[in-house]
Amino acid sequence: MLGLESYRLVADMNRLLALLFHQGVLDEQFLQLQQLQDESSPNFVSEVVNIYFNESEKLLRNLRALLMDREQWEYTKVGVHLNQLIGSSSSIGANRIRNVCVALRAASEQNNRLGCLRALDVLEHEYCYLKNKLHEFFHIEQQRVLAAGIRYPNPMQQHQHHP
Amino acid sequence: MATLQKLPYVSSCSTASSYGVHSDKIDMFPAGLRVLVVDDDFACLRIVEQMLRRCSYLATTCSHATAALNLLREKKGCFDLVLSDVHMPDMDGFKLLELVGLEMDLPVIMMSADGRTSAVMRGIRHGACDYLIKPIREEELKNIWQHVVRKKWNETKEQENSSSLDENDRHRRGTDDVEYASSVNEGSEGILKAQKKRRDIKEEDDGEFDNDDSSASKKPRVVWSVELHQQFVSAVNQLGIDKAVPKRILELMNVPGLTRENVASHLQKFRLYLKRLSGVSQQQVGLPNSFCGHVEQNPKLGPLERFDFQALAASGQIPPLTLAALHAELLGRPTGSVVLPEIHQQLLLQGSRQGQESVHCDAGVTYGQPVRKCPSDISKQFSQISSEDVNSNFQTWPPNSLGSIGSSSNLTGVAAQNGNLLMGVMHNQQQMQRQMLQQQQHNQSIVQESTPSINVQPSCLVVPSRPASFQVVNGPSISQSCSFGGTEAIFNGTDYGLVTTPRPNNSLYGVGQMLGGDHRTTKILNGYSGAGPASPSIPSCSANDDNNALGRVQNSSPEFNTSRQVPILLRNINDIQGSYSEKSSQLDRGTLRKLGFVGKETCIPRRFAVDEVESFISCNGNTYRGNGKKVKQEPNVDFIEMANTSNPMMHHFSPNDLMSVFSE
Repeated sequence: MLGLESYRLVADMNRLLALLFHQGVLDEQFLQLQQLQDESSPNFVSEVVNIYFNESEKLLRNLRALLMDREQWEYTKVGVHLNQLIGSSSSIGANRIRNVCVALRAASEQNNRLGCLRALDVLEHEYCYLKNKLHEFFHIEQQRVLAAGIRYPNPMQQHQHHP
Repeated sequence: MATLQKLPYVSSCSTASSYGVHSDKIDMFPAGLRVLVVDDDFACLRIVEQMLRRCSYLATTCSHATAALNLLREKKGCFDLVLSDVHMPDMDGFKLLELVGLEMDLPVIMMSADGRTSAVMRGIRHGACDYLIKPIREEELKNIWQHVVRKKWNETKEQENSSSLDENDRHRRGTDDVEYASSVNEGSEGILKAQKKRRDIKEEDDGEFDNDDSSASKKPRVVWSVELHQQFVSAVNQLGIDKAVPKRILELMNVPGLTRENVASHLQKFRLYLKRLSGVSQQQVGLPNSFCGHVEQNPKLGPLERFDFQALAASGQIPPLTLAALHAELLGRPTGSVVLPEIHQQLLLQGSRQGQESVHCDAGVTYGQPVRKCPSDISKQFSQISSEDVNSNFQTWPPNSLGSIGSSSNLTGVAAQNGNLLMGVMHNQQQMQRQMLQQQQHNQSIVQESTPSINVQPSCLVVPSRPASFQVVNGPSISQSCSFGGTEAIFNGTDYGLVTTPRPNNSLYGVGQMLGGDHRTTKILNGYSGAGPASPSIPSCSANDDNNALGRVQNSSPEFNTSRQVPILLRNINDIQGSYSEKSSQLDRGTLRKLGFVGKETCIPRRFAVDEVESFISCNGNTYRGNGKKVKQEPNVDFIEMANTSNPMMHHFSPNDLMSVFSE
């Protein structure tokens, strides 16, 4: 019963991942991340992704402030923020965010403010989408770990299996 | 995560120490490498840390550049390598890189999401030994230990160099050997007498340049002039080569000021030459006549073979600068001292008497032209460098990396292969020459097994760095050019435009050759350089080449005012402003030397080479003093390096081998 549940959760996770890959939200770098997770750091992926969301939220806020500031156009600062966002996004495999960042950077380099703002809107949207989906993903994973945890380390059950 | 943010300093020193407990790990070399990761992006920091851990490196992470710098200063020697992000709020990654390079001299690898050529080039220019583009992959990190090894290696070389000059000399002699072997091979006059003459000259030149670069300040240099050498030879003959010992020779020569050591080192070389000669001359008897007749065609053949050059110069057929370049190439030695060797003075005197007005034009050709040509390419070249992989054997320091490339087009024309270029130019319309070239290429291609290059080269007359230079260096070739005096006239050196025109050809073909199906990066990269497409194929030879280049640059610097153009042009390339001209000639020389260094490159770790470029920049400012030390040291480094690399190759391309190939 519990095994089945665990199985179902894994299937859910895979389906979700497949969707995100299909949509281009994630790329293979995310798989790399998953491969880096081992017994020495069992929550590596979620840890990194959480760091990423915290960081990029700050960056997005800064970007929004920079771009909304009508008095001065801090082109270089925008560039620096974007660069960091591109770096971290690509590092966790957030492919679509990365692409939007590149577009935003291009727009800012062309001094295309309107394009920048539009790209920023898209960026925020993408950010929210990824955040929701990944939260969902980790939520399922947590459930799975829980389910697995109940099944294996519990001595009672082991006694039942091997009387 | 919270801890990471709270502790920008060190998040995983504990890991490091826990790893350190397993001391046996250190034996399995790359494992246990101590890496400091600096990145303001915590996600990346964490990922890289994890990746490094997976490679069993000891990762220490740091989110602030300033903190990282402090850490590095506090714990000198506790890290092997620094991985740094480029954009950081408190300090630019490049600044950190620079400081680390200056203070700790650690290999630094830059990481950035910005993979644009300009950014990567900036990294290289600032002395990064690698530039990783985010996302960083585990495979990339697995390999970073090589930078540590490379660095260590070069440091050892440096020490070696400073400690044993004689060793250095010997190694360099090895380089010469190869050069000599191939030139003999191509020259092929097959007349023992001529051979002997040349050997003598060569010998003398060697002696003359022996201590120039490294020890000019240490002991008085002995100039093995023709007379002195003849005295030496007669003394040896009198004693018999087997029984000749330095002391007896010294007694017989009876020259005041000459020391036993001087004689000893000269004798050693002389013996080597004899040995090599015997191998070569046996083969040469069987050479076809067509290759033997050239010497006689030279109406201006001087009493000694070497004076071919002078004769040519005297007749205005070789511009003096070329001559000097040639000569330097032949010798493959930097002078390093202001005092010119006698030979050079002679040469120059002759040359300048005959072709005074041409000097400037030629300098323009040698130095100016490549620079003008290249700027568009530089960035590409540089970016390629960063991605280019480095092989393990001698090609470990292949001429393809940065220096020769950067140099190849800009510094280079100056440095690395300009002699060849000019030579190529000189020979451009000479049918006979072309044949010879083909022959040589054939030759070479057999040796190096790189067929693609043959297809292009013979027709286009690109002078592949190696053979061409030899051809020219060689007596026969030169006489050949005499016989084609008509065409040669173009290259009298006065007409800038005419002289320069063939050059684009050259580079063009270099590229063409690159496209011609070469799958080796080294090749391609060199193809870019236009000047030296063939050089990477023969490691030893190319090293040789570079050696020569260096020598040439250094040699020519004191001699020609015009050579000062070099630093200026270079600095333009580096987007540096300021006038250089008011600098003393001493500074000029330093720069030139560095230039040579950059150009030569082969064995320098990348950041060294880059450092050189950097120090150009800093020449303007106060930092020059700081660099001054380096300036002095580094040329030695590569020499030794090169010597070491080329020495084993000597066996590979021993005269006999080449000869046999040739005669077949």
